[in-house]
Amino acid sequence: MTQLDTLLASLAREHSTGALRIGRNGTVYLDDGRVTYMECAHTPGVERLLATRGLMSETKLRALQAEGGCERLLADGPVTAGELQYAVLSVVLDAAFFLLPATGSRPKFRPGERHWLGGQWFFDVAGLVRECARRRAQLAQTWPSADVDTLPVRPSPRLPGHGVTLSRIQWEVVVRSDGKATPMELAKQIGRPCYPVLLAVRRLAAAGLLEPPEPSRPPPAERRTGTGRKTTAVAAEPEAAEGGLPKRTARQAATARPPHDPEAAPAQSLGPPVTGDPTDLALLMRLKKALEELS
Amino acid sequence: MLGVDSCLAEVMAIPGALDAMLVDHTSGMAVAFSNSSGMDADRSAAALTEALRATTDGLARTCPGDVVRIDDMLVTTDKGHHLLRLMETVFEGPLVLYVRLDLDRSNIALARHRLQSISSRLTT
Repeated sequence: MTQLDTLLASLAREHSTGALRIGRNGTVYLDDGRVTYMECAHTPGVERLLATRGLMSETKLRALQAEGGCERLLADGPVTAGELQYAVLSVVLDAAFFLLPATGSRPKFRPGERHWLGGQWFFDVAGLVRECARRRAQLAQTWPSADVDTLPVRPSPRLPGHGVTLSRIQWEVVVRSDGKATPMELAKQIGRPCYPVLLAVRRLAAAGLLEPPEPSRPPPAERRTGTGRKTTAVAAEPEAAEGGLPKRTARQAATARPPHDPEAAPAQSLGPPVTGDPTDLALLMRLKKALEELS
Repeated sequence: MLGVDSCLAEVMAIPGALDAMLVDHTSGMAVAFSNSSGMDADRSAAALTEALRATTDGLARTCPGDVVRIDDMLVTTDKGHHLLRLMETVFEGPLVLYVRLDLDRSNIALARHRLQSISSRLTT
C-alpha cells in the first residue's frame, strides 16, 4: 500500500471526520470514515465544472458556499440532486486517480472540517482504491504507452484512412488541440474531468490519429509539485503499429511519468505494477487462452 | 427531483424488473446497482459500456452524415429483456440506466415509458 492508502484506511477504521490535507496537492474530506469529497490541484472540482459549463458563475458559487450551501444550490435549480451526486462522484474519482499515488508531502489531518459539497455521495476507501486501479488498467489496455498523457496533443493533419468515428470527448479534444496543450490542460479548457480526456487521447493514439512527438522538442517538465520524479524506464513499445503508428524512441520514452502512473509511485499497492508491457500482455493472453481451453 | 438511489428504486418498481444498474458511460463504472441476484456489476458495467460504444460506432457507419445519439437500446434474449437508456447530464455523461426484465411478466412499452420519465426527473 502506498502511504496515503494506508493512512486513509486507518482513518476509515477509526470512523474519523475531518479533512486530510496532502501538501499542496489536494485535500480529502472524510465523514465517519467514508470519503465525501476530494480536491486535487491537477483536476477540476465541481465548482469549476459548473462554471465552465456556464451553469453558474464562480462568484455566485462562492456566495452560495458561504450561505445556504448545497440546499440553496439545488433549490436555485441549475442542477438536479441526481446530477449533483453524479458530478461529485466523477470529480472525487478523478481527484483520487491523481491524488492517491502522490507521495512526498506529509499529510495533515484536521478533525471536524467538512466540505460544502460533501454529503452527496459516500465512498469507502477500499472501493476508491479499487476503482483507481481499474482505471489505470483501462488506460494501459487502451494504449500501453503513457507518453501521450504528458505530451501535447497533436492530431495528425491527414487521416490515415477514408473515415473515422469520434466520440464526443474526442471531438472536443481534436477541436481544442493547438499542438501545445497537454491532455490535462485540454481537460481544464473543455471543463471535463481529466480521466475521460486521458482515455479519449489514448484511444486517438490507438487509432493512429496522433502525430508522432517531435524529436527536437524537449520533454515537457513535470508539472507536479513535490514529487517530480523522472524515470528512465523504457515505456512499452506498441508491438503491432496499427495505421503507421510511430515507434517510440528511447529518448521519448524517458519523459516524465504522468502523476497517476504506477511507475511514478515507488511503493505500489495492489500487486505488481500495471505496466501494459506488450510482452506481458501477450503472455497473459496466451495463458488465458490455455486456461479457457482446459476448462 | 430524484437522487441516484431513489431513481434505482423506481426502476426496480417497473413491473417485471429483475435487476437495475446505473453506469457511467465515460469510464465504464457501475455507479449504483440493485444487488438482488448477485450480478457482477463492475464487469457487466464495463462490458455494456463497450457494447454501447461499438453500437454507436456501427450506427455511425450505417448512417453516414448523421451524428449518432442513442436514446435507448433493447436486447431480447431467451430469458428476458435488457433495456438500456442513455441520459444526458450537464456534467459528464451520458449516464446509462440499465434494467433487466422478466420475459413473461414485463411489458416493454410500459418499461420504456417509465425509464423515460425516470430519466427526465433525474436530469434536467
